[in-house]
Amino acid sequence: MADMQTPPLRVAIVDDEPLARAVLREYVASDPAIEVVAECANGFEAVKAVAELRPDLLLLDVQMPKLDGFEVMELVGRDVAVVFTTAYDEYAIRAFDIHAVDYLLKPFSADRLRAALDRARERIGRQEPPPGAGLSTRTPGTPSHRVLVRDGPKVHVIPVEKIDYVQAQDDYVCFRSEGQDYLKDQTLAQAEAALDPARFVRIHRSYLLNLHSLTRVDVDARENHVAVLTDGHRLPVSRAGYARLTSRLQP
Amino acid sequence: MHPILARFERLAAYLASWFTIGILVALVITRQGLSWPEALVLVLPPLLVYAFVCLSAWYVCRAMPLTSGLPALLTASIAAAAFAGGFWMALSQTWIGILESLPALGATTERFREQSPYLLVVAVMLFLLVLSLHYVVLAFEAFRAAEHQQLELQVLSRDAELRALRAQINPHFLYNSLNSISALTSGDPGAARRMCLLLADFLRTTLHMSTLDQISLQDELTLADRFLSIEQVRFGSRLRVERHVDEDTTACRVPPLLLQPLLENAVAHGIAGLVDGGVIRLEIHRDRDRLTIAVENPRDVDAPWPTRGGVGLDNVRRRLAVVFGVNAQMEAVATPGRFRVMMSLPWGTDG
Repeated sequence: MADMQTPPLRVAIVDDEPLARAVLREYVASDPAIEVVAECANGFEAVKAVAELRPDLLLLDVQMPKLDGFEVMELVGRDVAVVFTTAYDEYAIRAFDIHAVDYLLKPFSADRLRAALDRARERIGRQEPPPGAGLSTRTPGTPSHRVLVRDGPKVHVIPVEKIDYVQAQDDYVCFRSEGQDYLKDQTLAQAEAALDPARFVRIHRSYLLNLHSLTRVDVDARENHVAVLTDGHRLPVSRAGYARLTSRLQP
Repeated sequence: MHPILARFERLAAYLASWFTIGILVALVITRQGLSWPEALVLVLPPLLVYAFVCLSAWYVCRAMPLTSGLPALLTASIAAAAFAGGFWMALSQTWIGILESLPALGATTERFREQSPYLLVVAVMLFLLVLSLHYVVLAFEAFRAAEHQQLELQVLSRDAELRALRAQINPHFLYNSLNSISALTSGDPGAARRMCLLLADFLRTTLHMSTLDQISLQDELTLADRFLSIEQVRFGSRLRVERHVDEDTTACRVPPLLLQPLLENAVAHGIAGLVDGGVIRLEIHRDRDRLTIAVENPRDVDAPWPTRGGVGLDNVRRRLAVVFGVNAQMEAVATPGRFRVMMSLPWGTDG
């Protein structure tokens, strides 16, 4: 039991089913050490709630419209701890891979939830560093079909075919799509791992190029290769990158 | 039962072959100086009796199957052939004795006896021929029996497969329903009880139906309604259903649990992925001797292609193939934002 001095644990409930939210609300209602700061019916609302209300913990469903629970954690995992609540047991390993505090299988008892909340309180009290956002939550071997980028409370969903290139920038990567730049806090290697290697080629230490956006490769005055994109953009190509590019373009 | 004696047409064919062989043997003997009638009279009657003696080769085959090994087979065959040869000797000598006693043939009997060694060789050869014929027949019958057993096995495994396929109740559907009941218990006990009853009804009907080969479409529709009522407790106003069912179709006989997996799919991969839900459209029509069933649902345009979607649909497709073969079709069409499954099966009613 938390003593009276400690502030209550601030919790956001995220589930697309009203009844599933109701049972969580009911379970925590009698506990003065818990404060429910938000109830969200989908992943977008969850990201917004984390950005604006800064809860300590998400009680998070996995299968939801728009963004699933893992995609939510990819976007806000640096800022909040998570307890997953789902009817599916097959996501448990992935959940612990991203350092989820607990994994509750529906339907669960009030006692089971209390145990998870105690564990969360302990973890947060120890000030353990959160797992960090940008951690790939995807099943290995299956390239993602879209990239999620968080912009404060907003989430941008970029289909991979609309990404022209990805550029490394200090602690971030920048996704260039339809004339817009989207910053995401992950490394270029992480971005490369999540994208389809048949479509994206590392042409430079700092650039990952979508082959569909390439029109030609020029040589500049200093004998360096330059990739020219369909929108006229010019990107440097390193020697190793040129080798990768030509091996990919030759049949 | 003896394979040749068992069927009249086989016995007739067998005796006809012996008759032909007898004529051929008689033809050879005419070269030894006998006239046609004399040769036929000498050869045919004992040979036709001998034909029945040779049928005993079957018992040799049974006692010595082909798997017994070559030395044992050869020994048994030679012994049996020697026995048959002895029998032939007794038979032919008796016959010649009878012929000798006939005054009309008295003059030729000496020449009859001269033929005996040749005829003995022929008789032993013929016995060996019949023996191998029996082995062929026996092998053929064993092959047929194996084929039959194979067919029977296929039917059995088909039945087992159908039973297993029909018994697939999605456990996540159960867990989520139980979670809804758990949520309703404190706030709305009446609704919790209604949900329990719906769920019990659904499970009982599903399990009962899975033991049947065919049900009426009306029963399938009732089950589908129960399923949708349960899901409506979970999804509330997000799940809406439009039914376009021709009234005259409900008597049609269909394999059980064809519709329910399609609706389950439409909820799990359509409605559940939409913030505001949507409308599931169910259409059932009769077109002369065909019944068509279509289920259409909206789906999120941005949603990843369902990776765990196909199981229910594959299951229905396999069952249609098992029950109707090429006589039933099923196709799924995905367009941005919509998913439609259509199936067409033969129309059939009781009586």
